[in-house]
Amino acid sequence: MSEALVAVETPGAAVPGVSGAGQFWRRLRAQRAAMVAAGVVALLVLVALAAPLLTALEGQDPNTYHSSLVDSARGGVPIGSLGGISGDHWLGVEPQTGRDLFARLVYGARVSLGVALAATIVQVLIGVVVGVSAALGSRWVDQLLSRFTDVIVALPLMIMSLALLAIVPSSFPRPVLVALVIGLIGWGTIAKIVRAQTLTLKQLDHVAAARLSGWGTWRIARRELLPGIAAPIITYAALLVPSNISAEAALSFLGVGVKPPTPSWGQMLTAADVWYQAAPQYLLLPAGALFLTVLALTVLGDGVRTALDPRAASRLRVGTGRKREAKA
Amino acid sequence: MRQPSVIARRVAAASVSLVLAAGAAACGPEDNDAKSSGGDSTPHKGGTLTVLNSEPQTDFDPARLYTSGGGNVPSLVFRTLTTRNRESGAAGAKVVPDLATDTGRPNKDATVWTYTLKKGLKYEDGTAITSADIKYGIERSFAPELSGGAPYLRDWLVGAADYQGPYKDKGGLDAIETPDDRTIVFHLNKPEGEFPFLATQTQFAPVPKAKDTGTKYEEHPVSSGPYKVVKNENDGETVLLERNTHWSASTDAERKAYPDKIDVRSGLDASVINQRLSASQGADSAAVTTDTNLGPAELAKVTGDKELAARVGTGHFGYTNYIAFNPTVKPFNNVKVRQAISYAIDRSSVVNAAGGSSLAEAATTFLPNQKSFGYEPYDLFPAGDSGNAAKAKELLKEAGYPNGLTVTLTHNNAQNFKTSPEIATAIQDALKKAGITVKLQGLEDNNYSDTVHNVKTEPGFFLSAWGADWPSGGPFLAPIFDGRQIVKDGANFNSGLLNDKSVNAEIDAINKLTDLDAAAKRWGALDKKIGEQALTVPLFHPVYKRLVGKDIKNVVISDWTGVLDISQVAVK
Repeated sequence: MSEALVAVETPGAAVPGVSGAGQFWRRLRAQRAAMVAAGVVALLVLVALAAPLLTALEGQDPNTYHSSLVDSARGGVPIGSLGGISGDHWLGVEPQTGRDLFARLVYGARVSLGVALAATIVQVLIGVVVGVSAALGSRWVDQLLSRFTDVIVALPLMIMSLALLAIVPSSFPRPVLVALVIGLIGWGTIAKIVRAQTLTLKQLDHVAAARLSGWGTWRIARRELLPGIAAPIITYAALLVPSNISAEAALSFLGVGVKPPTPSWGQMLTAADVWYQAAPQYLLLPAGALFLTVLALTVLGDGVRTALDPRAASRLRVGTGRKREAKA
Repeated sequence: MRQPSVIARRVAAASVSLVLAAGAAACGPEDNDAKSSGGDSTPHKGGTLTVLNSEPQTDFDPARLYTSGGGNVPSLVFRTLTTRNRESGAAGAKVVPDLATDTGRPNKDATVWTYTLKKGLKYEDGTAITSADIKYGIERSFAPELSGGAPYLRDWLVGAADYQGPYKDKGGLDAIETPDDRTIVFHLNKPEGEFPFLATQTQFAPVPKAKDTGTKYEEHPVSSGPYKVVKNENDGETVLLERNTHWSASTDAERKAYPDKIDVRSGLDASVINQRLSASQGADSAAVTTDTNLGPAELAKVTGDKELAARVGTGHFGYTNYIAFNPTVKPFNNVKVRQAISYAIDRSSVVNAAGGSSLAEAATTFLPNQKSFGYEPYDLFPAGDSGNAAKAKELLKEAGYPNGLTVTLTHNNAQNFKTSPEIATAIQDALKKAGITVKLQGLEDNNYSDTVHNVKTEPGFFLSAWGADWPSGGPFLAPIFDGRQIVKDGANFNSGLLNDKSVNAEIDAINKLTDLDAAAKRWGALDKKIGEQALTVPLFHPVYKRLVGKDIKNVVISDWTGVLDISQVAVK
């Protein structure tokens, strides 16, 4: 609290939303956890993008069966210690099929991250359009859009997704479909935040001035409002990604996500849950990957929020010049 | 086996839950490799046997039960004219007399079957069992409100096609005669040498007309067997059976009836059942399951534990998992394409997907690999262990696909280890080596059986499975390959739409035989002959691994049912 006071006293520290990119990076860099998380996320994205390269390096691919690497008489448990880890199979092989787990894990990252990012983009786009339209439109438009948003927020994501995914014909590309379904159901909260923020900004002088100068609604929204709502949008989007990853994993776990043989972490979890005693690494690998990804993204999202929120940022004592003074 | 509900029931009764979870130790031979852990393995009378099941006994009316050989729990309460031989392995696939003195006396062309009841047969209230009660039991199974049994009686008995049961039609069925209290005669509209097998089903259990309460009869069915129903709660979820003191072992050579009480608890998850059986704590030490199998992961765990491994029994049930082709869909109209796929199949990866060699045996014949079915080994398109991609490519070239081809394999999304995604992806991987790109089309469970068993929507290339109502070639081959059993509107199981006069004629000829061994040989030969058309690719026959509690003695698993026979189990 005292720090907040200090921040107010310090000139140039508390201009919300317009801190500039440089200041944002400085504030983000000051948070060690966020930087570690950013490193992990960058690594995961790299792994996902380089999946074909990495598996080529290992000399495996995610879908080839290796019957000779599993003990058929014992239910297909991998032969060898630690689930059949070897120079050829870095993380062992899958029970029953003998498919390479490393290859399936890195290809699974593509599905998990790709679907989550695509879903987040869909959510942000719809949320911003609906939120801004509601805030700037007439009373009727606002009423209509806000009630519709309420309905969307009230929809249980899992149940709706299950229903939607079950009725769409299987010829539709599955990862795209999963991203769309999560995106189309999960935009409610972001629309509400955008609407509230827009309503606040609408009252500010620079917006009023723009309106008085005869600017159109679209131009005002683009030039005067969007920069102001960018910070909460980025913050919220950063927190949506991990929740979308969990949603994709849950849907695949329930058998309505991506279809076999496409590897996905959620699907690996489903197949692995009965193997937790006989082949624990089979369960631990996708579970660990999922845990790490969601944790890293959440910490990073939190860091982004802190860096964009001037009051929280002031606690970091960066961008105010005070940190350097204190050191000196 | 013709209506969709029927196949659903059949599958539910016989194997779904069995296959769902699978897996135990001893990777070995067919019969009784389960031993009790105690030093004294002689079974004694007394005690309470707990049965932990996943499927509740929702029907307990003999008219409504669809069973193979009289069922397990029901067979403790209902005796039938004939029954299955209660022995492990192949001997258990024989039909033996139960209420009757023999398995039936046919006339020359097997259209009239005569049975004589044993002397001294009594119900739980001490009254005598008469042949008229058996006739009445069969008649009431025709009542629409008591439907659920197999369709054979309606198809086979003279003038029964439109019979509505004794409640509406007081006259009764003329096709069944009861000249005296101990004699019953059946008149069939065509020769059926396998009638003794049908007489094992619970519809052949006696029902005293005076005690019949219609749809409420299942709340307290009158027992003719060693146990009577004392309690039946939550629609068959909790069933308690106690001794029927009027049952006499001297008239029943089959049921051992060692325990005093049988406590059936169902509605349990397969993994919970196996966990409880392996822990064997308290009452669970004297527990068995009649519908749950060990799964691959459980098998992997159990094999590492000597004590557990000794408590696993192995069962076989006449069942074949196969790829079905619809030859009216391109490119499967070309026999060379079907042969190419037969050659390309990698049975070792398919077997592994189904749970490994302890839970599935590679199949190259459509008939199950058991003598009772008439099994004659053949491998018309030898694919070896891991597929013959070279031969497959050669055939594809001859068929006009020198650069390979792309096909769609339809499978079920349910995780049943039979028609499920695991099996489909294993096939996909194997065919890739032969230049065949397989696209997978997964359908939801109900949608799947509706789609593949309808001639209008049947896909060209899909996963299927078949189990027979009794261990014989007839009910295995006829519904799948008899051209007259192609159902235009309704559930059709002749997926290959085969209507071959010589096949149909041979089926009729074998049905006339009353010498079941001779019939079996001809079923085997017919199977091989049909196999040449490559309308199916046999994949595997499932094997069942049954875990029992640590105090269980006298484990008997027949090849007829593949499950542990609770009429033989002792807990002391």
